[in-house]
Amino acid sequence: MTVAYTYTWGPVLDNWDAFARGAWIDVWVTGISFLLACVLGVAIALFRRSGLRGLAWPAFAYVQLVRGVPLLVFLYWVYFGIAIVIGVVFTSVQAAIIALTLTGSAYTAEIFRAALGAVDRGHVEAAAALGFSRRDTFRIVVFPQAVRIAVPPLGNIFIGLLKGSTLISVIGVPDMVFQAQQINLSYFTPFEPFTAVALILVVLVAAFAALLTGVERALRLP
Amino acid sequence: MIASGVVAYTFRWSVVSESIGEFGRGLLVTLELSALSLVLSLALGLVVALARLSPLAPLRLVAYGYVQIFRALSLYIYVLWIYFGLASAVGVNLSPLAAGVVALTALNSAYMAEIYRSALAAVDPGQREAALSLGFGRVRAFTTVTLPQAVRIAVPGLVNQFIDIVKDSSIIAIIGTLDLMGVANQLVSYYRAPFELYTLVAAFYLALVLSISAAATMLERRLQRHLA
Repeated sequence: MTVAYTYTWGPVLDNWDAFARGAWIDVWVTGISFLLACVLGVAIALFRRSGLRGLAWPAFAYVQLVRGVPLLVFLYWVYFGIAIVIGVVFTSVQAAIIALTLTGSAYTAEIFRAALGAVDRGHVEAAAALGFSRRDTFRIVVFPQAVRIAVPPLGNIFIGLLKGSTLISVIGVPDMVFQAQQINLSYFTPFEPFTAVALILVVLVAAFAALLTGVERALRLP
Repeated sequence: MIASGVVAYTFRWSVVSESIGEFGRGLLVTLELSALSLVLSLALGLVVALARLSPLAPLRLVAYGYVQIFRALSLYIYVLWIYFGLASAVGVNLSPLAAGVVALTALNSAYMAEIYRSALAAVDPGQREAALSLGFGRVRAFTTVTLPQAVRIAVPGLVNQFIDIVKDSSIIAIIGTLDLMGVANQLVSYYRAPFELYTLVAAFYLALVLSISAAATMLERRLQRHLA
């Protein structure tokens, strides 16, 4: 039954530039989705903390809803479902960014909500005592401190999105997994290309984890 | 190719009632896949956690490597690697379901090992010392004193991991299991109603996840009863 498998790394090595381009797509799609998810997450967190039930409740429902649905469902739902309903044809990259942003925003919203809640009340009171407006109190006193608190968990979300981005080839984004599948289809050597993308992902995750440690160190208060 | 324009979309929700039986079968496969992976990763995760806390340095190193590697990989890549890569390189031909269970177990046991490890560290060392001074053997002190308390601490983290297993199990559909996601994909190509069917499958996953959270809240309350 076991025919000895001959490892043929040639196709992988010859197409290293396709893997590099694919990996770069994963990284930038993740980066854009992460930034959008942070912006959306801050907005949702502010809604939840607004004290207005009309805003807080929908924000709570959004977080619960989005966290209960797998990323893969969102990818198909946005790319095939929503596109038909609203009559807009998304490119696969646009659909991937929308799906990753939606998923990410539910998690970043919870992180920002916890971080905003963790800022010492005394700072808000001190700012008020110094005559800061509510807006300035938030902008100058509360928000920067909340961001510092939020950085480590946000880093984990970034890495989670990067891992999630390996799914986007299912809607046709030519990322690194897509390249691996192309090589598998052309040369019938599944082991080598899939091992290659696994290694690339491990290296990327390790690199971003190291970067995150650096950012945390730079932000640490003396 | 869909012509973009302002043609109003007609929802076909009748598709939902027609396909609900298929989704029921898909739900069973999703539950089977998730439950098997949960049980196996709970067990394997504990073994890895114990290896990480072992006094033997090589064992600790292997367990550390295991955790680092499996936490860095994405389930999709791992499934492709097992189902296509390993199958052709080693000649092990797993069914899509088996490949899914292996992949889900390997990944989630790494996360669970870390949850167990921090829970074991959170148990007051005085408890173990008290057990030893009462004449308990090391194994018995661990199984009757330390571990039950650690499990109690670990429950919320393990539940979150289970929720991830259920959601991630959707990815296994890509290699051909007829779980909720696989059924949805099949029916979409049959009925051509992607919005309705993907919305329905989203609702199924959401209901599963919310039920698990609700059950977990009850379980946690029950586990804390003795403290009240």
